Amino acid sequence: MEYYPEELRTPPISLVSVVGCPELHQTISSFLHAEQPPINTLALPDFSKISVLARKHKDPLASPQPVAGILKRDWLMKHRTRVAAAVAALFRADYVTGDPAQWLQVCTDLENLKAAVHGRSIRLIVILVQTNESDVSEDLKIALRKRAEIDTKYLITFLQNDASELRQSLTRLASIFAELCNTYYREEGRRIRTRIEKRTFNSVELNIRYCFKVAVYAEFRRDWAEALRFYEEAYRALREMIATSTRLPPVQRLVEIKAVAEQLHFKTSTLLLHGGKVVEAIAWFNKHIASYRQLVGSTKNSFLHWDWLSRQFLVFAELLETSTVAIPSTLPSHFGTSENPLTEWEVQPAYYYQLAASYLREKRYCLDSSLSMTDSASANTLGKNPESVLPSVFVGQSARLLEQGDTIEVLPLSDAEYINYAITEAQRFQDSYEIIALFKKAYESFNSLKAPRLASHCSTRMAKEYFIAEDFNNAKLHFDGVSSLYRQEGWVTLLWESLGYLRECSRRFGSVKDFIEYSLEMASLPIFSAGEVETPNSKREYGPAGLPTLSRRESVQNEVFGLLRGENILPLTDGGCSLIITEEQPVRVDVDVISPLRMALLACVAFHDQSVKPGSPTMMTLSLLSQLPCPVEVDRLEIEFNQPKCNFIIVNAVKDLSTAQLDMDSQDVRVENAPSLILPTNKWLRLTYEVKSGQSGKLECLSITAKIGKSFMICCQAESPASMEELPFWKFEDQVETFPTKDPGLTYSGLKVIQVEEPEPQVDLILGASSPALVGETFVVPLTIKSNGHEVYSGELKINLVDARGGGLLMSPREAEPFSSGNHHVELLSISGTGVEDESQTQFDNIRKIQQSFGVVSVPVLRVGDSWSCKLEIKWHRPKSVMLYASLGYSPNSTEAASQRVNIHRSLQIEGKIPISISHCFMMPFRREPLLLSKVKSLPGIEQKVSLALNETSVLIVTAQNCSEVPLRVISLSIRSDGDEDSRACSVQHVGGIPADNAPLVPGEEFKGIFSVTSKVDSPNLEVGSVCLVWKRDLKLGDFEDSGVVTEQKLPSVIVEQPPLIVSFDCPPHAILGVPFLFHIRIHNQTNLLQEIKYSLGDCQSFVFSGPHDNAGFVLPKSEYIMSYKIVPLCSGLQQLPQVSITSVRYSAALNPSAAAATIFVYPSEPEFIVGAKKQETILV
Amino acid sequence: MIVCVAVVGHQNNPLYLQSFTEADDALKLHHIVHCSLDVVDERVNNPKKSGPTLNETFLGMLYPTENYKVYGYLTNTKVKFLMVTTDLDVKDADVRSFFRRFHAAYVDAVSNPFHVPGKKITSKAFAERVSGIVKSFGPVTTG
Repeated sequence: MEYYPEELRTPPISLVSVVGCPELHQTISSFLHAEQPPINTLALPDFSKISVLARKHKDPLASPQPVAGILKRDWLMKHRTRVAAAVAALFRADYVTGDPAQWLQVCTDLENLKAAVHGRSIRLIVILVQTNESDVSEDLKIALRKRAEIDTKYLITFLQNDASELRQSLTRLASIFAELCNTYYREEGRRIRTRIEKRTFNSVELNIRYCFKVAVYAEFRRDWAEALRFYEEAYRALREMIATSTRLPPVQRLVEIKAVAEQLHFKTSTLLLHGGKVVEAIAWFNKHIASYRQLVGSTKNSFLHWDWLSRQFLVFAELLETSTVAIPSTLPSHFGTSENPLTEWEVQPAYYYQLAASYLREKRYCLDSSLSMTDSASANTLGKNPESVLPSVFVGQSARLLEQGDTIEVLPLSDAEYINYAITEAQRFQDSYEIIALFKKAYESFNSLKAPRLASHCSTRMAKEYFIAEDFNNAKLHFDGVSSLYRQEGWVTLLWESLGYLRECSRRFGSVKDFIEYSLEMASLPIFSAGEVETPNSKREYGPAGLPTLSRRESVQNEVFGLLRGENILPLTDGGCSLIITEEQPVRVDVDVISPLRMALLACVAFHDQSVKPGSPTMMTLSLLSQLPCPVEVDRLEIEFNQPKCNFIIVNAVKDLSTAQLDMDSQDVRVENAPSLILPTNKWLRLTYEVKSGQSGKLECLSITAKIGKSFMICCQAESPASMEELPFWKFEDQVETFPTKDPGLTYSGLKVIQVEEPEPQVDLILGASSPALVGETFVVPLTIKSNGHEVYSGELKINLVDARGGGLLMSPREAEPFSSGNHHVELLSISGTGVEDESQTQFDNIRKIQQSFGVVSVPVLRVGDSWSCKLEIKWHRPKSVMLYASLGYSPNSTEAASQRVNIHRSLQIEGKIPISISHCFMMPFRREPLLLSKVKSLPGIEQKVSLALNETSVLIVTAQNCSEVPLRVISLSIRSDGDEDSRACSVQHVGGIPADNAPLVPGEEFKGIFSVTSKVDSPNLEVGSVCLVWKRDLKLGDFEDSGVVTEQKLPSVIVEQPPLIVSFDCPPHAILGVPFLFHIRIHNQTNLLQEIKYSLGDCQSFVFSGPHDNAGFVLPKSEYIMSYKIVPLCSGLQQLPQVSITSVRYSAALNPSAAAATIFVYPSEPEFIVGAKKQETILV
Repeated sequence: MIVCVAVVGHQNNPLYLQSFTEADDALKLHHIVHCSLDVVDERVNNPKKSGPTLNETFLGMLYPTENYKVYGYLTNTKVKFLMVTTDLDVKDADVRSFFRRFHAAYVDAVSNPFHVPGKKITSKAFAERVSGIVKSFGPVTTG
């Protein structure tokens, strides 16, 4: 847009003029400029300058000149800067009221001004500038008005006493100016419009010129609709003129018309876009281009046309870009339909930028061909005085300036002269930079619009331009970028073109490797079209690649293979280096799984087996495929594995020239001969060989290197047929499917990896465990390693304990709490070697590591026949079944690498069991019953703690039962109190029940211990202590003879309370038939209250008694109440005493003594006891 | 006149591309077809913009270049058809009927049991049928 003059680019602004009082001009002009709409001011300091407003005088007698052009170049400029719509004459009031001489001067100035503006319809305003209070008389004003021949309202008094008055005056002035401007431009427009309507002229040029003027006047008044109408009218008239005008020579005629059309189009587009009519503007633009695109002109000057066309696109793009804010909202939502023929990109400036660039390229192409046509002689003659050709007064015309002495004459140009002039002008521009810049703009814009393909099309053309400008770095960069997109989407022809350029770039750089890579890729593209005749146009279109044909592919391949075989590629005539491969600088091309060069050479390797024993041979098939159009002969193939010992070389038997060289550098490597190594097009070359690996683990084929010529290598990453990707491009071709191996099964499952198995272990690992383990004991598992064939070096033994029911971990977080020794239910305590090996073992201790369920221990070096053993100590905290895994890893050879290891695994399931179950019960002393209130209140169903009476002695019986399957020995049984405080609160004493030490306990047998418990503290929660049972297995194992296992079980806490009443029955230990005895019932009141009791004694057949059956009584506080009965037994044997029932009224509690307590043995006669013969157990009752 | 028709596969790869011009502007037509795929993507990915009918296979005019207009069509198996014409004033109905016939020809071609889906269409019968459809398109609009 910068190409256009300023007055065309901006909307016109009204122009007024002020004369006189220069001190006020600044104020007035800045105020008017800030108005809305703004008004420009042409300020003339005094009346002597008013001649600028005057019209040029035409000689009225001169015959009307023929119209020499369409639009005058400076007309718009003149109306914007020189022809004012109104003029204001400023007079100081004191001048007017002063002496007659001054008045006379005022009159003269006014007359002059009137005379100057006479020919035009410029309006006059008179402004009286008042400086003080002095008022101008009304008469004087009338006189002045008459002199100036103006209306009352156009005589303004300009007051400037204070700011508000000044502002008021300025506003009044501005509104009068605005009104006058409007009138002026309307009348001017109307005047010219009448001319158009009346057709007072007969030339099309004038019609166009008048329409243009009317439109500009309308723009001055901001009547956009009318302006648009007349611009379009002018444009239409101009289009019609093309065929009819004969005024100028044909070339210049077209140039003029296009120049005018450009201006008119620019004005129209600007108005449309400013009005937010984007769709209309684009439609208008398309119409504009459609009507002028075909007007190319002759081939010699066609570059002028393309230049012009390019500029149309550029300007429209810039216009769109500056008004993009309006686009999204005003556009219809969907594109490409019949109601909206626009497409997405047509509203984007980028679309027009790239077209501008394309046309500019066309221009450059035509200019180049014009230049080649123009003979140098004529160019030289013109070169002498190019400055003599100038733009003429009319838009789009040029003229020659001829100086002859003092007179300067303007002469018209002939077409030939004009073309020469235009060519020299055009040569001054660097089109390439412009083209690149435009494409770049479009490229970036399309990229941000997520249109990658359009962007890469721009990028391609940009790269071509770089190529033409010999900026090969940038060209390569952009071509590489677009190539990857074309590769990805499989557009062969487009890639062919890019690769042709890239290949040429690498030739210019002298980069042999790139040249080879691009050439190979080009040659292996799936192009089959038969050879067409190459035309110059196809060379222009496809660039250095040439037509995509099969023959061209072949020639590309032959060229590059010639280079590989040591031939020289000569530099091109227009620059670049000579390419050659020497033996000193061999070229190596790497092909990986994503490389496009897989088309040129694809290598896939399949082992026939999935695994193999070490040292035994296995077959592998090596398959090679090439899509190059001519057969490729390979001299040598090098196959590389991850185990370098397996590497081998296949030599082409036909070519024996390289074998001599081969012998020198590879003595160790196996060499195979193949009858021929020729790769035909799209046909697998299959080679099957034997491979033998002595090393266990993975054997993988890494790469296949094909050597062609003396100094070229192509190294392909080996691929497995099972996981092979299809070839790019070729996968879309409708071809017969071929398999890399003869066996189709191998094609689907073959892998380039084979597993070499480990050698068989020749070492025994024995886990010896006798019986189920018992919870709490340290269970010993003897482990023996015995070598019977292999020597064991750097052996490592791993022990692992796993829950046999699964779940892995030997712990549960919920149950973990009570164990202080760790969170594991089963724990590996230690791994101890045998005593003999202790010394040697210390040096391996550094790698010894034991965790709770995992242990690693090193094994000393073992010769064949040696053995080594250790003991695993495992402790169970809970009954659990556990899998014990032991694995030994070793090297059979002290020299071999660590990878060559042999592993042996053993496992054993071990059950962990509880050995002894412990139960207990509390009992009250015989025939003594305290009233325990907590028992009375206890609710059924709720587990109740055992209640004990305060300061009474209770009996605790602990029972231990062997519930395992092995005989045990009890070492001791005791009650251990837990804390000091509790020991004072409650004393536990062993009473009896424990036999001699190490009492045997066979499975299922019980063992009892009896303790007396006296509690001294009233407490609802008294800890009695823990049962502590020390036991051991009943075995004669020397090592573990003395160590017993402690099983501890905590006794539940008990309630200790003060009984209010204690009832005790007093009765002899036995009775004799017929002999009366006394039976006392003692009720001891331990409270400070009077206790009422009721009691009864039932009759029974075995006894007769004296005393009341039922009675009630009171027990005094802290005293005892005794009921005595005299009873005579009537039967002998074990007899029930009469039923006693005692009820405490206060506590509503009744006591019915247990059957045991109410039983007595009655002898038939006095028994005789032998004392001292046998030591009797004393049981304290 | 139709100058080029193309069938484009799922990976935006050309499955069939035939130009019907004497001039050797094949490369240019390749570029035009390739660039038009951007518009197809745009319309398919923003169905809101491309009109109220969701199941519409005809995509409308995609791309007007200097001398050509490109029309697009998307089958229900997401294969794209593109057509490049030099006619400046084409009726939508004509293009639609062209694509319908072209689609029928395509369906017949890929229903051939020897055709592997996703590969280029090399059938001669298809090529002949397409060129027949293309030829019949011209006189209708010009005549």
